[in-house]
Amino acid sequence: MGTRLDSIDIAIIRALQKDARASFAMIAKTCNVSIDTISKRFKKIENTGVARGTTVLLNPKSFGCDCVGSFGIRADFSHIEEVLQFLKKIPEVAFCAKTMGRHSVFALAIVKNVGVLNEVKEVIKGHPMVREITTSIWVNEILLCPENFDLPVIDGGAQIG
Amino acid sequence: MDKIDLFIIEALTKNARTSFRQIAAALNVSPDTIIDRYNGLQEKGVVRGSTIVLNPKEIGYNAMAVFMIDLSPNNENSKKPFDSTLIVETLIKMRNIIVASKTVGDHDLMAIGVIKDFNHLAEVRNEIAAVEGVKDMEVSFWTEITELSPKYFVI
Repeated sequence: MGTRLDSIDIAIIRALQKDARASFAMIAKTCNVSIDTISKRFKKIENTGVARGTTVLLNPKSFGCDCVGSFGIRADFSHIEEVLQFLKKIPEVAFCAKTMGRHSVFALAIVKNVGVLNEVKEVIKGHPMVREITTSIWVNEILLCPENFDLPVIDGGAQIG
Repeated sequence: MDKIDLFIIEALTKNARTSFRQIAAALNVSPDTIIDRYNGLQEKGVVRGSTIVLNPKEIGYNAMAVFMIDLSPNNENSKKPFDSTLIVETLIKMRNIIVASKTVGDHDLMAIGVIKDFNHLAEVRNEIAAVEGVKDMEVSFWTEITELSPKYFVI
């Protein structure tokens, strides 16, 4: 089950979701605690695995990638893992997971253009265990909102860990 | 983008809180240079922002799901097509939906959400189904990886 977070932890997470470089002094001020507390809590958030770290959000277009597409793949049931490993080796595939429901595998590719997306599709289709693949091209207004996570607030002195 | 820019991007991708002084020392330039370059990368839109990468499993989310949504071709009341932009915006405002986009291909819209359990999956599905204009939907979900993309690209 989840790790317990209190209101200070959540204030830190919410602030860093918006700007990972936010100063601990500012967060400390809004929480009315010392900078030291914030820095200790942040270490705890990382050490307990609630956060994997911090990162910058990059614009793929600046790196020549204009097209995002997703693939819904149905694979031979006993070879799903094999297909997944195959997908992981394709450099354009940014994300892939074994799924339940409509498809066996769901993959997301970030590529230069639609032509390259088609090439990736054909490579996947060429795998002997892939039975069916449906492609969707994501239109350029992808909205991302990682803040939509509900954070389980457990107040009253409960601490992480 | 030159070597300095790429070095900054790489350092901050691994840890967005890396101090500019540290990056400057590694490159043998002044911290002001790094600050200028970082601001430049933001102005040019190469860097869209920075964020903390959460592990959803640690906060009670055990799965992720992709909702592949088909829209009704026509709004029976207004006799006009539904505004897909408006529907995408409605989706992304929903709790637990972290990505939403219009798509060309098999479906009209796609949304990715974080899921606590089966009941919760049904709840999120029903919430999407209740949006006006949503005609049909297919759902796939996964439990093994709950990180969206290690690259964390934003468009």
